[in-house]
Amino acid sequence: MSLPTGIRSYTYAQDMAIFRTRTHWVWLGVLLALLFTGPLYWGGEWLSVANLIGITIIAATGLNILTGYCGQLSIGHAGFIAVGAYASAILTNRFGFPFLAGLICAGGVAGLVGMIFGVPSLRVKGFYLAISTIAAQFIIIWVINHWTGVTGGFNGMVVPPASIGGVSLVSQASQFYLIMIIVIVVVFLTNNLTRSRVGRAFVAIRDNDLAAQVMGINLFRYKLLAFFIGCFLAGIAGSLFAHWTGFLSAENFTMTDSILYVGIIIIGGLGTTIGPIFGTLFIRLLQKAITLIAPIIEGAIPTLPAGFTTGIGPMVFGLAVILFLILEPRGLAHRWSLLRASYKLWPF
Amino acid sequence: MVEFSQFAITGVTVGMVYALIALGFVLIWKSSGVANLALGQLVLVFSWFTYGMLVQAGFPVWLGLPLVILFALGVGWLIERLALRPLIGQPILSLITVTLGVAFFIEGLVSLIWPKSVAALPRLFPDEPLHVGSAVVSQEYLWAAVISIVLFVLLTLFFKRHRMGIIMRAVADDQMAVQACGVPVAKIFSRSWMFACVLAAVGGILMSSIGGITFGLVETGLKAFSVVILGGLDSFLGAIVAGPIIGLAENVGGGYLTPLTWPGVREIIPFVIIVIVMFIRPHGLFGERRIERI
Repeated sequence: MSLPTGIRSYTYAQDMAIFRTRTHWVWLGVLLALLFTGPLYWGGEWLSVANLIGITIIAATGLNILTGYCGQLSIGHAGFIAVGAYASAILTNRFGFPFLAGLICAGGVAGLVGMIFGVPSLRVKGFYLAISTIAAQFIIIWVINHWTGVTGGFNGMVVPPASIGGVSLVSQASQFYLIMIIVIVVVFLTNNLTRSRVGRAFVAIRDNDLAAQVMGINLFRYKLLAFFIGCFLAGIAGSLFAHWTGFLSAENFTMTDSILYVGIIIIGGLGTTIGPIFGTLFIRLLQKAITLIAPIIEGAIPTLPAGFTTGIGPMVFGLAVILFLILEPRGLAHRWSLLRASYKLWPF
Repeated sequence: MVEFSQFAITGVTVGMVYALIALGFVLIWKSSGVANLALGQLVLVFSWFTYGMLVQAGFPVWLGLPLVILFALGVGWLIERLALRPLIGQPILSLITVTLGVAFFIEGLVSLIWPKSVAALPRLFPDEPLHVGSAVVSQEYLWAAVISIVLFVLLTLFFKRHRMGIIMRAVADDQMAVQACGVPVAKIFSRSWMFACVLAAVGGILMSSIGGITFGLVETGLKAFSVVILGGLDSFLGAIVAGPIIGLAENVGGGYLTPLTWPGVREIIPFVIIVIVMFIRPHGLFGERRIERI
């Protein structure tokens, strides 16, 4: 919480505020104004990229709580997103739930499933936990693929667009507003959660779980809580994804995606509020750039191997993860805070 | 009964190959404490490289397979040198996730160089099936098992007798003490990666000569995780015992459960076993139970 010189706090409320100076508020206003007028000047293609970014931010924020704050590595996040997506689709499709109720229930269902697979975290950690979340990923996807009567199996499932109060959100622009509002709420709540007792307990568990336990943190409760919150957000993201694409199949939620989410929070910066946002922007824009540029390169250099367009994306992403871990393990969020510090100290 | 022995023989032999791949994991884990999650992708890339050597380049087997082994050694050295060495001493989270980055990179590389999704290796073993009792087993399975057993024996001898093997065990035991004795520990890490890659390559060749090269080989590599989890992360013996158990559970369970549940149940049996082991006995059958201090 670095502040410009000369800013003092006279009340606790002032001390704890997220936005302290007028400049902060101005920047926030500019940013929000830009964001919410976005659909006016972004084309439909970029708007759908923006929607995907919003959904990914929600999911990555969930994983960040679980992995970045609480230190429980999960490589099954896409599986939990799938649970949320299918739960929401089934509830709204079959049982006629209104969209918002479906959204919350999807989060709850995904959170509960996450808690079940989080139970081993009480006894194991690190690699063991990573493996049991991989197992979760495969088991969930297998169940989705084979429980044909409920999920449509390999044929997939059609999902109606979200509707709130009788207004059906069909267009990308209307979905954009829905998703962005939820993103802002999620990021705000997460930021506050991590400053509370719960968030500090998570950090204590991450840094040394035995020491945390000795200090009176109930590991059982807080680890499961971390799994619940992380997977709850995954479920929310899944629900939004389902109603955004309009069609679900298990191919949207592979283990590759799970690894992608881990990569996102690493590139963004583990254990920071802003990290998942930066990481998501980096990865999704990189993917978009590659899909735009790769065919051009392939056209220009015909001797390239045939799989260039499909292969180059994962290669660049893998390389980015490795390089970030080696060169900047604190991620883009750290770069951002360095930038802010130098901006504040300018011209020195 | 015929059915059962059929399932059992297939299961045990395939399980041997799983155990082989799992040994590579245990090797790296024991010597450097790195969890190699790129195992599946390594198996995939070596299988494709074998395809490249034997089919695309048209080399004969006696030249092609040694080239694959050389390639595996090179890949292992490169991964350790470029991705793992800069991270020595970093938290376990970074060490695990960097192998995920490697996995992603390899996956991209594979789909860049070999864009088709399925391919078959030329026949490496004679193809007339053998009759074991009343069961009919194709020879590939038995050869896979034989080769795995030979490699187990060689590895065991290596670790018991050879100077390098003894040093590797020592590094696994106490890095600091070994370093004080003048052993270049980083070199041992790189050796263990090279070894692991060779094991993954052999496993990949055996698996793909049985079932062809598909993207499913990644899952074969992942099944090796269930072997290490069941056997215990730091136990060679565990991997050797747990491999056939997993293979057996997968094939026998798959064979008898498919009519009762959904098709394809054998695909997730290893993962269900992982979850069960996590709940009941997280350190596995032969793993060391860790006692932690603050």
